[in-house]
Amino acid sequence: MNKFVRNLIMWVVFLAVAGAAPHVLGIVKTNVLVELATFALFAVSLNLLLSFTGVLSFGHALFYGVGAYTTALLLYHVEGFPLIPALLLSGLAAGLAGLILSPLLVRVTGTAFAMLTLAFGQLMYILCLKFREVTGGEDGVAGYDIPPLNIPGVASLDMLDSTVFYYFTVVVCVIGIMIMWFFTKTPLGQVVVGIRDNSLRVDYLGYRVRHTKAIIFALSGFFAGIAGSLFALFQGVVSTDGVLHVMVSFYPIMAILIGGIGTFFGPILGSGILIVLEDMIMRYTERAELVTGLLFIIVVLYVPGGFVWLWMGLVARFKARKLRMSKEVEA
Amino acid sequence: MSTSILETKDLFYDYSGLQVLTGVNLQVEKGERHAIIGPNGAGKTTLFNVITGLYAPCRGKVIFKGQNVSGFKPHKLSRLGMGRSFQITSTFHNLTAFENIRMGVLSRMGIRFNMFQRVDKLKDVTRETDVVLRRINLHRESAVPANALSYGKHRALEVSLAMSTNPDLVMLDEPTAGMSRDETHSAVDLIRRLTEGKTMVIVEHDMDVVFSLADRITVLHHGKVLAVGAPNEIKNMQEVKDAYLGHGGV
Amino acid sequence: MSPVTAMYVAQAIHGLTYGMLLFLVASGLTLIFGMMGILNLAHASFFMLSAYFCYQVVAWTDSFWIALILAPIGTGLVGIIVERFLLRKVQKLGLGHIGDLLLTLGIALVISEAVKTIWGTESHQVLIPPSLQGLVTVAGLEYPIYRLFIIGLSLVILGALAFILFKTRLGMIIRAAVSDRDMVSALGINMPRVFMFVFGVGTLMAGVAGVAAAPMLTVFPGLADQIGLDAFVVVVVGGFGSLLGAVVVSLFLGELNSFGIQFIPRLAPVLVFLFMALVLSFKPMGFFGERDE
Repeated sequence: MNKFVRNLIMWVVFLAVAGAAPHVLGIVKTNVLVELATFALFAVSLNLLLSFTGVLSFGHALFYGVGAYTTALLLYHVEGFPLIPALLLSGLAAGLAGLILSPLLVRVTGTAFAMLTLAFGQLMYILCLKFREVTGGEDGVAGYDIPPLNIPGVASLDMLDSTVFYYFTVVVCVIGIMIMWFFTKTPLGQVVVGIRDNSLRVDYLGYRVRHTKAIIFALSGFFAGIAGSLFALFQGVVSTDGVLHVMVSFYPIMAILIGGIGTFFGPILGSGILIVLEDMIMRYTERAELVTGLLFIIVVLYVPGGFVWLWMGLVARFKARKLRMSKEVEA
Repeated sequence: MSTSILETKDLFYDYSGLQVLTGVNLQVEKGERHAIIGPNGAGKTTLFNVITGLYAPCRGKVIFKGQNVSGFKPHKLSRLGMGRSFQITSTFHNLTAFENIRMGVLSRMGIRFNMFQRVDKLKDVTRETDVVLRRINLHRESAVPANALSYGKHRALEVSLAMSTNPDLVMLDEPTAGMSRDETHSAVDLIRRLTEGKTMVIVEHDMDVVFSLADRITVLHHGKVLAVGAPNEIKNMQEVKDAYLGHGGV
Repeated sequence: MSPVTAMYVAQAIHGLTYGMLLFLVASGLTLIFGMMGILNLAHASFFMLSAYFCYQVVAWTDSFWIALILAPIGTGLVGIIVERFLLRKVQKLGLGHIGDLLLTLGIALVISEAVKTIWGTESHQVLIPPSLQGLVTVAGLEYPIYRLFIIGLSLVILGALAFILFKTRLGMIIRAAVSDRDMVSALGINMPRVFMFVFGVGTLMAGVAGVAAAPMLTVFPGLADQIGLDAFVVVVVGGFGSLLGAVVVSLFLGELNSFGIQFIPRLAPVLVFLFMALVLSFKPMGFFGERDE
């Protein structure tokens, strides 16, 4: 029961803060929160691979990009295409991309996996750059209408209203992250963790390692695609440098590391730290990446578990001291 | 119909030109505890790995339950009812003892691609895992990560992981490697208890373990079967002594 | 010589120039990987850093030749500092390959941002020294002297590298360490110092390539993007740690690139990655690789 009450309180606090945020912070800050939520969803989807499957992908932008382009192209070419189908189709397209690449991806691990995903990411980047009649090259796809969210008989919500779009994004991202969290608790999620620890043993216990990995690539791709789609809806323009550049792949890796590798919620914390920090630094200098890059190096060297572990370590130390003090009082 | 559960027919394997197995004919009867012994370099581990699907044989057949399984992948063999343990402890080192065993229990129950239910809500899986942990005397360490277990307990987990899918044939690769006398003793007891009524094939260096566990022994030498027999027959065979002393077989 | 043949020869030499530069970058990368097990994602950043050093030295002294000496040395020194104070530390953390990849990724980001902060985002011109300007006629074909100079310079460096690796005691240790790291460190050789040397030389070679490329490509923040990615492809395809693989694949990629641009301009950049994806999928250790990392 204790756990239930704690979770309930956490949800109430979260909903209150998230609900009040746009009214307290104003439009500019609300837009930063939209970016944050989208980025957190993207980072968590990558973390399914990094922390749970144990493979480092340098090409996650591919799925983000497929999602973003799918949304942009659908809305550009099909007049009046509704919002939710666009979002879901973008996720499915990215998931399908993961499935298509999986026969090659499941064969390698370690450095080779990192390089193979880098290669696929760059392939996609260059293809989208070169086939400008479809993708608009570096200028990208722009000028599509953002459809409203129609709930038949109830309301039609205008997505161009920053506050409304903020709520929409938060709901989508929270649902996405919760589904992924649930996934890690399912039997298949357990098998994935087993593959990370010892894939040969998983094989010897009767599981199909490659099929399982293919499922996780598709799932991770799906949610990265959803994040990309949200980006497309938010920005109103999708270009190669915006969604497929190699930095788009590197950024969530930094968020995961800073937040805490090997944990589920660390990447969300890391996304928050990165985005807020960048927003703060940008007021003083154009070169925010220099600071985040340095922070990243410091975290890798000095806090390899990220800030979640740092926090947990502090809590443990605090508890130990309290215990010691209470013992001293008794004595 | 023969009663053998596992058979190899004229098995060949060479490792980048080096002939390791040169026509092995092995027969394991249903329900027996069968040991494979032989001097270093006789090809025991290779034979073990070919049977369990890590390597595909260059020539010859592996027949398991009357079916030709040569070159089958490990997961397929596992589903047919073959389990194996590893010489170098190979558990899921970051997962708890409970989660380790649950991995096998899930597979046994055919829950391999379920992503719609929480695993901790599967009551029968949890119950079954607890039963296994109790049987191997690890129930008090069920929440301890595998790599934090003592060496002996970690080895016990290794062997029980092989048994956790409830295989008809379990292949144990030097289960007592690196153990102290006492640990070896309790490991032998554990193995005897766990494999009650099952078929077991064991590769082992420690002759005490072999002679206290095995019903029948196959001696491997230079990639071939040198002798097959009951433990006391083997003990007294001149060829076997020669092979171990190094002046036979050349 | 018919115009078609001339075009082929010109394109081939073009490819050779790029292939040689690529080799200078990739050989350091593959040696470092072979010895230390680190795939240095910041390697191409050293190439770019050296090009900026070159620009700066030329701006101060007005001499390309002084820059050719000083810039790579400066780059090598930065490399040594990175190895000594950062890489050595992360290797001790026991994060495995992920730790190395992440740290060097961070270093790459910081170098690229630092360069933008110091020198700005615009392109800087470095002039070809007067003695290397112009064209030379070889077998009835006019060819820019500077490109031939790059090929010659690379051959000299390749020769020096081969000499160190195959004729000196240090080279013997390095080669032995590439094939069996644990064995060599068990022999009581001061491996950290050898690592530092290899890392320094590797970055120095990338530095030479950076200086050589500066007058051809101009100096700008995206300078290392293509050669950096290509160098990874070389290491991966050639086999992690294989110098022979690096030579063969560098030259092959140079030609692939050059003829790709000639015949299928739109898909030329894709070819390299397609090639790598195929090789990796079917031969995860690369063509000349022995060890699975």
